[in-house]
Amino acid sequence: MATLLELAAHTLHRLDPVLDKGQREARTIYGSEGFRVWAEKTLPRLTSSWDIEVTPEEQFDALASIFCSGAVLTYKWQFSPIRHIADGIWELKTADLRIFGWFARKDCFIAVVADTTERVKRHRLYHGYAGAVARYRAALDLDEPKFIAGDDPNAVVSNYSYP
Amino acid sequence: MPSFRTTVTPSRRAAARFVQDVRRAIQKALAEEEAKRGLTQSDIARAIGVHRSVINREIRGYKDLTLGRVAELAWAMGRMPEVDLPEKSAPHGSSVPLDPPPKDTMQDKPFEVRSSKGLVRGRRTRVG
Repeated sequence: MATLLELAAHTLHRLDPVLDKGQREARTIYGSEGFRVWAEKTLPRLTSSWDIEVTPEEQFDALASIFCSGAVLTYKWQFSPIRHIADGIWELKTADLRIFGWFARKDCFIAVVADTTERVKRHRLYHGYAGAVARYRAALDLDEPKFIAGDDPNAVVSNYSYP
Repeated sequence: MPSFRTTVTPSRRAAARFVQDVRRAIQKALAEEEAKRGLTQSDIARAIGVHRSVINREIRGYKDLTLGRVAELAWAMGRMPEVDLPEKSAPHGSSVPLDPPPKDTMQDKPFEVRSSKGLVRGRRTRVG
């Protein structure tokens, strides 16, 4: 069995969120090899299905800056960029993206798979992607507990909501 | 430890994060006004004469916000939008790559939107 740090050194990839001056990384996003490849190869080519100015890659970059800087994640639950799917599996949301993974510990999200909002909703892919995350997590040689159980956002991230 | 980052350019990063900051400032103001006096998105939509679904999409990020709409939303919430473009300070200790645009362009001037009540505003000074 491996600790998260040991695993991160060999199996996972840490997202560099490119924070602003004076900000420190208070939350971390790791990605599976599949997620890293998607982020580097597929994400830059995606266009917004909402025809908005900010591209999906820019949406992800902006969300990562908020997430990793430790800023308040949401001011109303309706605007929350994280949502529990099932069995400790969460999604990070932007207008055009759905990123599925889990919290290995508080403020540490492991992204496994991602797709566009349009495709996920049109083809009802939530269940399938949640299953993919669960299988990846189960196969990972990680110390128990492997994830934070439950659907409470305050249990998986610090500074979740305002006030 | 292996790491990765997006391919977003510094100028587009500044733009996208600014858009996000403005939207979050509006969300924060709305949450505060809702808690203080029960203001809803429907109230705002009525006040500025558009359908509630339009306001909802704009506030949640599914529709672009124009500068004019930012001002309308602020007005409907009893807020004052202000725009300021302060000079950025030297990025010592920053994790941001040092690739400033040419000095004869406006590209490296960060935006900051502030409210007289300190609520509708940009959150940070950007680098690149």
